[in-house]
Parts: sequence; C-alpha cells; structure tokens
Amino acid sequence: MIPELEYKKPKTLNAALKFLNQNAKAKVLAGGTDIIPGFHIESKRFIDIKTLVDIKEIPELRKIVEKKDSIEVGAAVTFAEICEHPVIRKYVPLLADAASMLGSLQIRNRATIAGNFVNNAPCADSVPPLLVYDAKIQIQSEKRISEISLQKFLLQPYKTALKKGEIVTKIIIPKPPEDFRGLFYKLGRRRAVAISRISLALLISLENGLIKELKIGSGAVTPIGMRLYDVEKYAKGKIASRETFRELAIMLGQKVLGITGLRWSSVYKLPVIQNLFYQLLSKLVEYEKN
Amino acid sequence: MRKIKIQFKLNHNDIVVETFPNRRLLDLLRDDLNLTGTKEGCGIGECGACTILINNKAVNSCLILAPEVDGKEVLTVEGLSSNGQLTTLQENFLKYGAIQCGFCTPGMVLSAHALLIKNSQPIEDEIKDAIAGNLCRCTGYKQIIEAIKATVKS
Repeated sequence: MIPELEYKKPKTLNAALKFLNQNAKAKVLAGGTDIIPGFHIESKRFIDIKTLVDIKEIPELRKIVEKKDSIEVGAAVTFAEICEHPVIRKYVPLLADAASMLGSLQIRNRATIAGNFVNNAPCADSVPPLLVYDAKIQIQSEKRISEISLQKFLLQPYKTALKKGEIVTKIIIPKPPEDFRGLFYKLGRRRAVAISRISLALLISLENGLIKELKIGSGAVTPIGMRLYDVEKYAKGKIASRETFRELAIMLGQKVLGITGLRWSSVYKLPVIQNLFYQLLSKLVEYEKN
Repeated sequence: MRKIKIQFKLNHNDIVVETFPNRRLLDLLRDDLNLTGTKEGCGIGECGACTILINNKAVNSCLILAPEVDGKEVLTVEGLSSNGQLTTLQENFLKYGAIQCGFCTPGMVLSAHALLIKNSQPIEDEIKDAIAGNLCRCTGYKQIIEAIKATVKS
C-alpha cells in the first residue's frame, strides 16, 4: 500500500529546495521506479514519508550539457535519454551501455540517473561507469552548492553523504582522454529487466605495449560501488600481456574477497569475476592491436 | 488526505478527475475510469502488463502516481481503435495468433505501438528490445514478434 501522502510539484529548483528545507519529512520523487514499488513492498527505506516533491520536470535538472572539458548531466535526465544522447555516446560510451541494459524500456523512460545512485544500492548500473570516469556530483540545498566525487558520496550500502534538505542537481563527468578504451559488463539472472548480480566497468589506455593507465569500477561485486585503486596502481607500466592480465585478475579476486568477506555466493562469484575481468582486459587490448 | 484535481488527455479526450495523491495511475484507470484493458500483473514494474503510453512513451502505470500525469497525454489500449476499427497492429496480433490468454496483450500491443511511433522500420532486435519489459506467461513471443514485423512491412 502506498501511504497517505501529499504531492508537490515545484516549478523551479529554488522552490523545491525551499520546500525541502522547511519540511523534514518530505522526500524527493523523480522517476519513481524505486520509491513506488518500495512503498508497495513496505520497504523500511520509505516509511515516514509525508510528502513527495516531484522534481522530474524542473528544467535545471533536465539538461545534458557539453562543456569544454566535461559533460554535465542533469539529475533528472532519464536513462532512455542517456542511451540515445550523442554527447554521452561519444565521450562516455560505458554510461550509455550501462543505461541501455538497465531495466526495461518502460523503466528507462522514467528512471533518472541520480535516482539510480542516491539510494546507494550495490546493483546500481550507472555507478561502475561513473566511477571509472571520475564523476563528481553537485549537491544543492537552499543555502549552499557543493561538489563531491561520486566515490566519496557513496558511503555504505543504502547510505550516501546526502543530507536532509539537499538534492543532487547534476553529475559532472570529465571528458576522458581520447586514448582510453573501455567496457561495461553486467550479469543478471536474465538479459532484460534484471537486477545486476555482477557488474564491472573498465577503462584502459596503452602506450608502446605497456599499460599506461587502468581504471576499474566495481558494482554488484562489492557492498557498494568502488574503484579498485590497488589493482589499478599495480597495473601501471606493466606489459599488456595475457600473463599480466592473469596476475591482475587473481589480485582483483583477492581484493574483492577481502572487501566482501567470504559469502555463500563467493564460490561462484570469485572465479566468475576473475575470468570475466581477464576476458574483458584481453578483449580491450586485442581490439587495440587490430 | 486531501483529494487533488488533475487534468490530462486520456485516449484523445481532455478529462478532469479528483483523486487522492497516493492513487496509482493503474488504479485510477481501472477502478475509477473503468478502463480495465490495462492489467495489473506484478505491481512492481517487472511484467509490463500495466504498460500505457504517456506522451507516446511506454511506461508502467503501476509505478506512477495519478498526480504525475497532470497535463500529459495518456494512451491506453482502449484508445487505439477508432470508430470500432482496430489498428493494423491489433489486427496483426489477431491474424498471427499473438494472443493466448490475453493478459499481456494490451501491454504488449502498447509497447509495440510506442516503438512504431518512434521507429517505423524497426529490425527484429529493436522489436525484442522494445518488448523486453513485457512478459508473456504463455510464451507466445514468436507470434508476437511476427505480428509486429508484419505491421512494419505493411
């Protein structure tokens, strides 16, 4: 059952921020694809909401803007819009790939980018690509505007740095250097409309057969999405060979296991992650060579 | 809880309704407006039985609150035919046997309808992608895809 509530639809960002500042039990509504079924299954995350503040049509939150060195994606841009946007596809294709695999078309037509990660679920498909692209997010309250890296914003499962009265207003993605190639991988129980069981994003750049830089963003293999900096650091300057990838894959598996601890699913997930990572790296480098 | 007034276009006609803000669009359509062509399957946005179009885009009406459609254009399966004449797409669903128990049919037809509005010449993969959010428990996907393909050709 959806609890008794009030519905507000402010026309401007300022009006929304003012309302949120004055109403502690108000919660932001955008696509609603998490919150409405959440009510339905009586999720504890959504009890105590008295008012929903619909921000999905606030113009400031609806734009994708290409700047000189970055791309700014409004918080309420939908995944259907992200999949198709030429600027996203050109500069940050892993985000477009992740968006195209998210839910169904019906979900992608409603679900918004910020809505995907503000609840900090480990299976959020936008997170691994945004992490490897070093995305920052802009947070706004009635009193102030601030910026924080996505990595720092995601605190622990289902907890972020977002405070009462604040809204994520945009995602700022620096344009990656042109020599980066990447892949996003998602494994669900089936291909469509599936919650990610395993998700991973990789970006790599090579120079004279050596790994110049490697970026690894984890999704549903760690309790929250994170960058695996130790493995990235170790990879730097190594020969881009199958031996190195094998070494990195083993190291990645150990890291993930160290973070998650031994779980019932580890027996399955660990070798899958290692093999997957190895295959993704091989595929990326083969592609480079040809 | 106070009732609120919402105005929107429903199946090409302007309407005004008073409803509660926590009413799902699905319930508003079925129970208040008697448009029972829109079905409730899972109620959590996974099965697509409640698919309708808002401003020509396929969405799950179980995931939308009634006040969210204020000012929008809503199309349900009842709004497809005109003067008792089915659309070519609907005729093809019949012709190709793309209906069995019929529960997924309204959602399936509307997902296909939305696809054809946007892309008049979809390839098979695009058809599959467009209906990936609609489950058919009778598993008549082959006939459904054929019916959509036949509509593309005509």
